[in-house]
Amino acid sequence: MRQSLAILGAVGAVTLGVSLTPGAAMAQSTLESVKERGHLNCQVGLPTPGFYALDADGTWSGLDVDVCRAVSAAIWGDPDKVEYQSVTSAVRFTSLANGESDMLARTTTWTAVRDTQLGLDFTFVNFYDGQGFLVPVDSGITSALELDGATICVLTGTTTELNLADYFRANGMEMTPVTNENVNVLVETYLGGGCDAYTNDKSGLAARRSAFPDPTAHVILPQTVSKEPLGPVVRQGDDAWANIVRWVGYGMLEAEEFGVTQANVEEMAANPPGPGVARLLGVEGNIGEGMGLPADFMVSVLKAVGNYGEAYERHVGENTPIGIPRAGTLNALWTQGGIMYPPPFR
Amino acid sequence: MAETHAETALIFQPKPARPAPAAASGPVAWMRRNLFSDVPNALMTLLGGYILFVVVGAVLDWAVFGAVWSAESRRECLDAVGRAGACWPGVAEWLPNMIYGLYPKELVWRVNLGFLTLLLWIAPLFMPRVVSKVNIGVSAVLLFPFLASYWFHGGEMGLLWRVFVAAGIWGFVWVWATALSEQFAGRPIGQTLLAALGAEDAADADQRRILRIAAALLYVAALALTLAWRLEEVGTRLWGGLFLTLVISGIGITFSLPAGILLALGRRSDMPVISMLSTAFIELFRSVPLITILFMFNTMMPLFMPEGTDVNQLLRAIVAVCFFAAAYMAEVIRGGLQAIPRGQYEAASSLGLGYWRSTQLIVMPQALRIMIPAIVGNFIGLFKDTTLVSIIGLFDLMSMARAVGEDTKWLGLFIEPFFVVAMIYFVFCFAMSSYSIGLEKKLAQGRDRG
Repeated sequence: MRQSLAILGAVGAVTLGVSLTPGAAMAQSTLESVKERGHLNCQVGLPTPGFYALDADGTWSGLDVDVCRAVSAAIWGDPDKVEYQSVTSAVRFTSLANGESDMLARTTTWTAVRDTQLGLDFTFVNFYDGQGFLVPVDSGITSALELDGATICVLTGTTTELNLADYFRANGMEMTPVTNENVNVLVETYLGGGCDAYTNDKSGLAARRSAFPDPTAHVILPQTVSKEPLGPVVRQGDDAWANIVRWVGYGMLEAEEFGVTQANVEEMAANPPGPGVARLLGVEGNIGEGMGLPADFMVSVLKAVGNYGEAYERHVGENTPIGIPRAGTLNALWTQGGIMYPPPFR
Repeated sequence: MAETHAETALIFQPKPARPAPAAASGPVAWMRRNLFSDVPNALMTLLGGYILFVVVGAVLDWAVFGAVWSAESRRECLDAVGRAGACWPGVAEWLPNMIYGLYPKELVWRVNLGFLTLLLWIAPLFMPRVVSKVNIGVSAVLLFPFLASYWFHGGEMGLLWRVFVAAGIWGFVWVWATALSEQFAGRPIGQTLLAALGAEDAADADQRRILRIAAALLYVAALALTLAWRLEEVGTRLWGGLFLTLVISGIGITFSLPAGILLALGRRSDMPVISMLSTAFIELFRSVPLITILFMFNTMMPLFMPEGTDVNQLLRAIVAVCFFAAAYMAEVIRGGLQAIPRGQYEAASSLGLGYWRSTQLIVMPQALRIMIPAIVGNFIGLFKDTTLVSIIGLFDLMSMARAVGEDTKWLGLFIEPFFVVAMIYFVFCFAMSSYSIGLEKKLAQGRDRG
């Protein structure tokens, strides 16, 4: 019996030793507990190119990862105080609700139910996506409306699957879904001729097509069958924390609008060209302090990740393998025909 | 002389036996006997051979002859051979991640050293003259994990942790002192030590006191060593790949056997409370799928915990795996216990052995021996079940393999990494299986009636 107790004790103690880290009390504000912990727990999804990509060196990068880095830079002036929690979509919201993650930056679609019934708070939209279809060029299909009777490869357990059914029902068409929970398996099925079309968010389609043996042999159909405003999410009930994430995001857009970049931010902060830039970079006013951040938090953010346009071009823009053009799409600034419209920083 | 001569002449001198005719031995005969004994057999052989040829040929074509061995990105592979050949450079680039996860590359030596310590710890088990094998084995299970935990995790040691890590160091020194003493001097370490101190002839009580003091001194030295030992912290979020798989399944396996034995004994106990509690535990964890238990421990437990406690995610997964494995193991062992005839218990009682002594000396050794195949089957199952932790966001071997195909450079590369992972799993599971067969043979010597 003594031996058995020793065994139990041993196992308990090993694991205790390995893992009891000083806890973050939920009663504290999120910002306080993040500061006390010394790093930001930022939840991303399973590695996905462009948004939260993991490379062989073990570094995370992407448009969403830049949101985590920006928030970290806003708090500490250092973009690397982030622990990336890569979690499957099945547990993403519970992980946020139980306090394990401080925020989600993982291409999560903003919907009414999620915003109002799951205890979540959507902060801002950092990418407007929409579901589309990918078909082989030699199928001759040029419009989604010609897909009646097709078999369609679709990820299971996502809004994608539901949107697909909605679209076909609304247009009085028939289809046979081929489902899997692994994108690579679906793509392999599609390439092997196992389905006539592959549907996913258009950003995802572009990324996958770039890795096809012959990308030009496949075309993304013009129709967009769903609205997918993607953005970072925080736990409901801590408005101050939601404000920080939201305004760091808006700040990056505002900086692009004003032409403040990673390269020129120091110079701009030294002699702001106008009152807008001065307020954004904390030279005038105390917007940062009101949020519990340093007055010049946007300087740190921009030095770390650049403005929104720079982040976009770096991770998903036309010069990346993902190659999603920005000009003229929803993701362009409102001044350039898009709907990225940050509220004024004042 | 003449007599001898006559004898040799009379004695029958057999000619040396001729080798069997070529038609009855050698590979040709073997093939004729086993593969082509009659027409249906010959047809099946040809069919089987053809299938084997096609499958193996296709795999070799893909994996070796048509494969790309050097490229910068998957695009280069695709341009070179399309999808007809494997693209190994991506797997090669990711191999360190598949083995160690995101563990900092410059600190990987710590993981290696941790596993080397384990090998050294159990090496004395294979020394022929070492007799304290049971104690060494038990110490490897009980004390090695503390030492390993610091190798792997590092960081600031709390008081409790320090005490245990010191115990780990103490255990390691003891194991090797014992092994060397028994192997080369042929006597236990205690006696060697007393001889060295010239206290061989002291009274028993004094000898015991001296040994206790020696052990305590060693422990104090180990404790002092931990004060000087400072490793950089590597959070468990960075653990991954094969390393993480081995940590989870290793702890699960070592925990499940003793816990399973206790639960099985508990379930058969005459004491109603113990029996009910054991049964409840076993049935609860056995009737829920592992994935559900993992979800429960991972996402629900933090909600029930008092505010401010933050139990590491890996720990939660390990506890879940341990409980699940223990419940299954308990039933395997109970099966073994039921196979022991009543007479064995009665014989043990009649020798005057109490419950624990008869269990330890008579019942358990037989029960465990019978159940070796099932126990090892359980271990192998557990080793593979740990892939489920990928669902709760731990980067085990499987999730690392999946991550390769999501790397922007190697986008879509997923068959190759899974191929490698399959081989890694095969090596480990086959090794476990072979070891168990060897163990069965060894334990069955002189008992096996075929």
